[in-house]
Amino acid sequence: MILSLVFFTFSFAFYFITAVLYMGHWIFRKKWLGQTATAFAFVALMSTTMVLVARAGESGHAPFSNLYESMVLFIWATNAGYLLMEFKHKFKAIGAVVMTIELLSMLAASLLPYRFKSVEPLNPALQNKWHWMMDLLSPWGFEKYAIGWLDFHVFTTFIGYAGFAIAFGLSLIYLVKNRSEQKGGRSIMDAFPDAKTIDELSYRSIAWGFPFLAVGIVSGAVWANYAWGSYWSWDPKETWSLITWFIYAAYLHARVTRGWRGKRAAYLSIAGFLAVVFLYWGVSFVLPGLHAYA
Amino acid sequence: MPEKAKEAAGEAQIKARWRAAGSKVWYFFNSLKLTLSILITLAIVSIFGTVVEQNLPIEDYLSNYGEKWTKAILYLRLNDMYHSYWFTALLAMLATNIIVCTFERFPPKWKSLLNHKSEKFDSKLIEKFTNHQTFSVAAAPDAVKERVVSAFKKKRYGIISSGGDGEWRLYAWKGRIGRLGSDMTHISLLLILLGAIVGSFAGYKDFRAIFVGGDVTVPNEGFKLKLDKFWIDYYDSGQIKQYNSLVTVIEGGKEVLQKQIWVNEPLYYKGIRFYQSSYGTAWNRVEEAQVALKLKNRDNPGDPVAVKWQELKAMPGSPYSVKLVSYSADFAYDEKTNTVFSKSAEANNPAVQLEIYNGEKLVSTPWLFLKYPGIFPAIPNSDVDMVFLDFRGTMYSGLSINKDPGTNIVWAGTIVMGFGFILAFFVYHRRVWIIVRNTGRSSEVKLGGTINKNNFVFEKELKEIVEAVSASKGE
Repeated sequence: MILSLVFFTFSFAFYFITAVLYMGHWIFRKKWLGQTATAFAFVALMSTTMVLVARAGESGHAPFSNLYESMVLFIWATNAGYLLMEFKHKFKAIGAVVMTIELLSMLAASLLPYRFKSVEPLNPALQNKWHWMMDLLSPWGFEKYAIGWLDFHVFTTFIGYAGFAIAFGLSLIYLVKNRSEQKGGRSIMDAFPDAKTIDELSYRSIAWGFPFLAVGIVSGAVWANYAWGSYWSWDPKETWSLITWFIYAAYLHARVTRGWRGKRAAYLSIAGFLAVVFLYWGVSFVLPGLHAYA
Repeated sequence: MPEKAKEAAGEAQIKARWRAAGSKVWYFFNSLKLTLSILITLAIVSIFGTVVEQNLPIEDYLSNYGEKWTKAILYLRLNDMYHSYWFTALLAMLATNIIVCTFERFPPKWKSLLNHKSEKFDSKLIEKFTNHQTFSVAAAPDAVKERVVSAFKKKRYGIISSGGDGEWRLYAWKGRIGRLGSDMTHISLLLILLGAIVGSFAGYKDFRAIFVGGDVTVPNEGFKLKLDKFWIDYYDSGQIKQYNSLVTVIEGGKEVLQKQIWVNEPLYYKGIRFYQSSYGTAWNRVEEAQVALKLKNRDNPGDPVAVKWQELKAMPGSPYSVKLVSYSADFAYDEKTNTVFSKSAEANNPAVQLEIYNGEKLVSTPWLFLKYPGIFPAIPNSDVDMVFLDFRGTMYSGLSINKDPGTNIVWAGTIVMGFGFILAFFVYHRRVWIIVRNTGRSSEVKLGGTINKNNFVFEKELKEIVEAVSASKGE
């Protein structure tokens, strides 16, 4: 509990610094600010990784079993996804928005009530390990480190969420940027790439998030089939994941249809992410169901 | 004759009308806008089913929502929304939409993917692409053409060329199979729906409680399931770690298979799955009861004797032996039918029934109550009474018995979906048209092309190809 908390506190500070640096880079357009921001984003990623590792050590299982742990995973995946995007496309200003989302997520995770944070042993339904992996690891006595459907399900789902979070940030940027482009003249939005590129980047993020969410849903279904005997039971979490999936499916088809690109697609992406937020937080707090623990 | 002709004309007209109606329906379903509308509608209506709790008894809706709203909920089937006719109809519309769109779009796509090679093209075509470039290379056209071919081949493109005499036309392509991704994804959705339909018609879900040592006959199958043992694992902190049942499959009188099942580890046998789903203490039998003799003139009973279920046991210090034949956890008596039953599964008023023998002779069959010792004498006209002091309950394990032949179709669908996603999102179809022309001392290269998605990758790739072609002067 102590070690992961230390790393969590450090991460919080790092994300704050990172967000401020990216904003500084966006406003003042100093190259060194951008480079420092990227370096700090990387440090924050390492620190977040350590939170997860320390947490796994403390609980004795993969750190994916309650709301707090999954928030850290979400923050980790979003940061990793963002850094990959920056490395590939070199657009640093976007970091200002993504890192603000990260900072807010850190804040939300730290404000969670204690019962969502505590280290708990896994209840019967959550105990699932892949036999083949246990067999593979048993010669070295490592079979307790085998993972199972729970870990796979949560991990893939959160990669999906991270993709959607980045796409959400990009869609917000798109809407503002699109407006400033139509107005013309100089604007603070000039630090961002043009609207068309933002739109394409947003699509790329969803193109990663969508299949990962699908894999998350399917692996959840496989697991449910092991644990409860049916692969789908219209539990609120399941249904909301499907709702989210429908919205992003609509987004992907909208891009093929003329007249639905750009602005409308951006609104769909924003709606999709709001659904993700409800799927993730709303369902856990408001609606009863099988996923009540996370 | 004219009558017949009229009739034929009428028939033709009706046929034409049907055809027109059919094509209208077809046209309606062959629309991406319809897809968008259905997806968004499904997303919105699905919310209702998460807000209104599903499949509650009607009284609960009445107390939660009042009479007026309950009527509306029942009318719209919001209490079992995902199985309602209108939700099913929406899914059916989506399926029809997918089928029609696939029929309409797939064959021409397939054809154009097969006959895609078009190295004889209009030179104006190139400048129409967003991605196009013109540059010159100081080398003979034939050499430049070779460079172009090797640059594209290095990037794993297929490439063909035609021409000569100072002018070459080339066509390069890559990732055609990515175009099939969306079709695979769509077919996978249909497979998953099919699996769900098969499951809902050919499958069933059942629940059985089996006592330790007891068995159940599996409905419609020629085998039985016996419960050998049930136990609970705990963490050191006292929290429950796992529920376990050791079960044996008995087929044709023989034990064929033994397996330990727990939550997350079902038994799968002959298409039927058995899941650990609950457990409890039986209300109609016990493992053993502690029974003691009590002389009517004494206050305290004698030493307790452990009497096992359905086993005859001698009571030391008396001529009697007893057999434990019935148990009721929450004793109740139905006067109309003269039968004993248990009001609930809780041990609120535990009672056991004994058969008391004197030698071979059955003398009495009394009910003894744990909470009310001695209210009825165990043996009529005798100095000796018996009291029921304690018991060890029989555990039962609640197993879900589940048959769903559609599940495998669903899994097949998800695998197809996985491949579909890889093709649709990560394999991009690229096509490039190139002209190499002799312009006196050097050659001019014009190239332009398209990618079906992810323009970033394409821009970068073209840039690298252009660099490779123009840089590699004099090998």
